Amino acid sequence: MFKELDPILHSQLRLAVMSLLISVKEAEFTFLKEKTNATAGNLSVQINKLKDAGYIEVIKQFSNNYPQTICKVSPAGVNAFEIYVKALQSYMHPNGNGQ
Amino acid sequence: MLEEKEFSTEQSLQLIQEMIGKAKRSYVSKGFATIVWGALIVLCSLVTWAQEQFKFSIGFDIWLLLLLALLPQIYFGIKERRSKDFVAHDEQTMTFLWTAFAICIFISSFYNGMYGPPSFSSLIMMLYGIPTFITGGIFKFKPMILGGIICWVLSIVSMYTPYTTDMLLMAACGLFAWLIPGIILWKRYKKQQAANV
Repeated sequence: MFKELDPILHSQLRLAVMSLLISVKEAEFTFLKEKTNATAGNLSVQINKLKDAGYIEVIKQFSNNYPQTICKVSPAGVNAFEIYVKALQSYMHPNGNGQ
Repeated sequence: MLEEKEFSTEQSLQLIQEMIGKAKRSYVSKGFATIVWGALIVLCSLVTWAQEQFKFSIGFDIWLLLLLALLPQIYFGIKERRSKDFVAHDEQTMTFLWTAFAICIFISSFYNGMYGPPSFSSLIMMLYGIPTFITGGIFKFKPMILGGIICWVLSIVSMYTPYTTDMLLMAACGLFAWLIPGIILWKRYKKQQAANV
């Protein structure tokens, strides 16, 4: 039976953000914007959705008098990402022989 | 640009792979510090060898260049860190690893320059400090970080004490680096087990 894909993660930009954040300890908003090629507005909305779901932590601070937004994946986010990837694998290998 | 639209499972996996690849490519270091240190160690070693082999002196200790090179290294290191917009997973581990190395090089070079090679027990205590300090750093376990630092302090003390006293210092190293942190970990484990029952 197919596992249901997490709707929070099954979105291109949110999945891209989560994949980037899984690969690093933490990243600034500018890093995510550059790697995803998203607009600041759209990225900001998607980051807030991930934050509201508890998948990422967002820290707003000042660095050299400039506002800085730092994002990092939370333990709940890591767990959700792992479940999402396993669900994707079950879709691609429905008989479980692709492991 | 990534859009909000329906996408297949294959596209999902492809996107995950692509983003992890992009993040990995950002890790690439300029290699500036590595080149400078590599070149200096080669130069200092070869000049020292040449002085011994051909019996001449350049009039100053060539190894002092390492200390001079430290200042631009620190400057460029801080500059590079400030300009980076992400922190890699292994960055903290690398910081603790190279800090431990720098402390040990400094202690041994300082003593060697003043009095000659340190004793075997002093070197052993210095080595005790390395894994203890790094393990404490990786797991954010302060008792082990402190244990590592105590090993290095006792290693310096042992450079000035006789062998018999060194054994007392080594016992103190075992106590602070492993026994006390171990007891703290054991107590935490028991507490966690009691909470899970």
